Amino acid sequence: MNSELFQFSTATVLLLLFAFYGGTYWLSRMIRHDGDDADGFMVSNRRIGLGMGAASMTATWVWAASFYAAATSGYTYGVSGPLHYGFWGALMILFIYPFGRRFRELAPNAHTLGELIHARHGASSQLILAFSNILGSVISLMVNLTAAGALVSVLSPLSFQAGIIIAGVGVLSYTLYSGFRASVFTDFAQLVAMMAIAVVIIPAVLFAMGGPSVMVDNLSNLSAEQANLFSREAFLHQGAPYFVAVLAYAIGNQTISQRLFAVDESHIKPTFITATISYGAIVIGLGMIGLMALTMGVEPMDGNMNNLIPQMVSSYLPPVFIGLFFILVIGSLSSTADSDLSALSAIMMADVYGKNIARNKADPRKMLLIGRMTMITATVIGIIFASFSLDILVMLVFVGALWGAIVFPVIASCFWNRVTNAAFTWSVIVALLVFCVVRFELLPMTGMLAVGFELLASVGAGVVGGLMIFGFFGKRLGVIAFFIATAVIAWIGVGQLREFTVLLSSLTAYGVSTLVCIAISLASKERFDFNTIQQRVVDYNAPADDELDAPVTAH
Amino acid sequence: MQTLIYGSYILVWPAITLGMLGMISYRVLRDYREAKRTNTDMV
Repeated sequence: MNSELFQFSTATVLLLLFAFYGGTYWLSRMIRHDGDDADGFMVSNRRIGLGMGAASMTATWVWAASFYAAATSGYTYGVSGPLHYGFWGALMILFIYPFGRRFRELAPNAHTLGELIHARHGASSQLILAFSNILGSVISLMVNLTAAGALVSVLSPLSFQAGIIIAGVGVLSYTLYSGFRASVFTDFAQLVAMMAIAVVIIPAVLFAMGGPSVMVDNLSNLSAEQANLFSREAFLHQGAPYFVAVLAYAIGNQTISQRLFAVDESHIKPTFITATISYGAIVIGLGMIGLMALTMGVEPMDGNMNNLIPQMVSSYLPPVFIGLFFILVIGSLSSTADSDLSALSAIMMADVYGKNIARNKADPRKMLLIGRMTMITATVIGIIFASFSLDILVMLVFVGALWGAIVFPVIASCFWNRVTNAAFTWSVIVALLVFCVVRFELLPMTGMLAVGFELLASVGAGVVGGLMIFGFFGKRLGVIAFFIATAVIAWIGVGQLREFTVLLSSLTAYGVSTLVCIAISLASKERFDFNTIQQRVVDYNAPADDELDAPVTAH
Repeated sequence: MQTLIYGSYILVWPAITLGMLGMISYRVLRDYREAKRTNTDMV
């Protein structure tokens, strides 16, 4: 094993970055432009095909942290580790599509989920959703730029800050002009590169270190728990908290809903299934490199788990593979960062300007200006925050809680006509407060108080299970699943869940928001007519007269 | 036997990735041809 990572020269790494961002920019210039097309800037032509849609979903969902975290999971939890990262992450994509079809049915002309919620409830609920989307995308942007800085500084003499600035400017350059359309179009090329490299690198590392037989010979390096495919420890520490976040991430992330509103409506299901399998295969596969490292007794350099994959590639493969790995990471972080920029611009254009400032009398030219200014501002903020390596753990925890708290109110608002604006808003606020009490242990988790929170968390687990079953099999089975899951988790979890603070707090947020939302809704006599949503959520570019007469064609 | 199981467990993921890469590329090619035929944009 080499004790140091391979180093590119400054010229080589600059050449690689220039080739990547130059090529991506060239691709983005192939898109035909309409200078006033605000709708196209946010959701393309709404008829993106299966291949392009699935590629874009996958590329967006695979970010730099996916590889590092999957490998870390493989290294920490052994055989089941990569599955407990990649499998649940993939399910996030799968479980959103039944709800996505409903969103699309209710508001076929929407650009963001916030617009739908605005039409359903009004400004306060919409702004809660928009705020959570903005926070999530800014954090994601920052994390991806940080990953670029770390990669460049680890593999070349260039500084951390130089890597951040090059990646930030590179992503902005090809996204600024065409927005979401450029994001989707370039995602395909980036995904092809990522997949091709993953297909080559995983077997290359395996056979370069001696093949599966060498791994089997070294299995003694694994503990009994690490060698177990059904490891309880891996499930409780890695899989379960991630599983709980499945719906929260999908609902709270505008990058996903933007694609839901952009792909061809008849292809939503196959698009999301294809993306689910693709994401799972890439991420679990690269996570296996962490398992290989564990088996071979490799120690992560400087104790930093993020060094595991570069270390394995650097140790066992020739420099050309390190170049491929470099492109793999740059591709993954860029495709996610451009989606974040597109998501942020759509939120500012539609949710903030379109709905709350122009109030549906938006000027498309002004919208585009706002969208592009948002991209520039977000990139500058991302570069500054990433350069200072700010500790964002608390923000991440808070965003996760916010997303967990909005899941039930958002989904219920789209299916149940009794949910009110007050029910939505208060359920999120109360759930967040209770989450903070549990997550930051503001009260002692002992005695009856702990039992109470564990019961609320059991309700939360029931909500997660119930919503997933409801999405695929309807209300009756969803309700049955809710009661079964709640009873089972209460049976197993009371007295146990208090030991797993992250899991307990996340589940509690789900449970509390659901109970509050249902209670306030039942107390109301309001009944909402879902047909009004379609009239309230409209395109910002009025169709030209000749377009109205023209037959519908597949763009 | 154990070698075969471990080898398959690791190599099945790049194999699936390759299959999905082929499928996505085929569908994009089909969409490209359709867009070209109708003189419209893919995105």
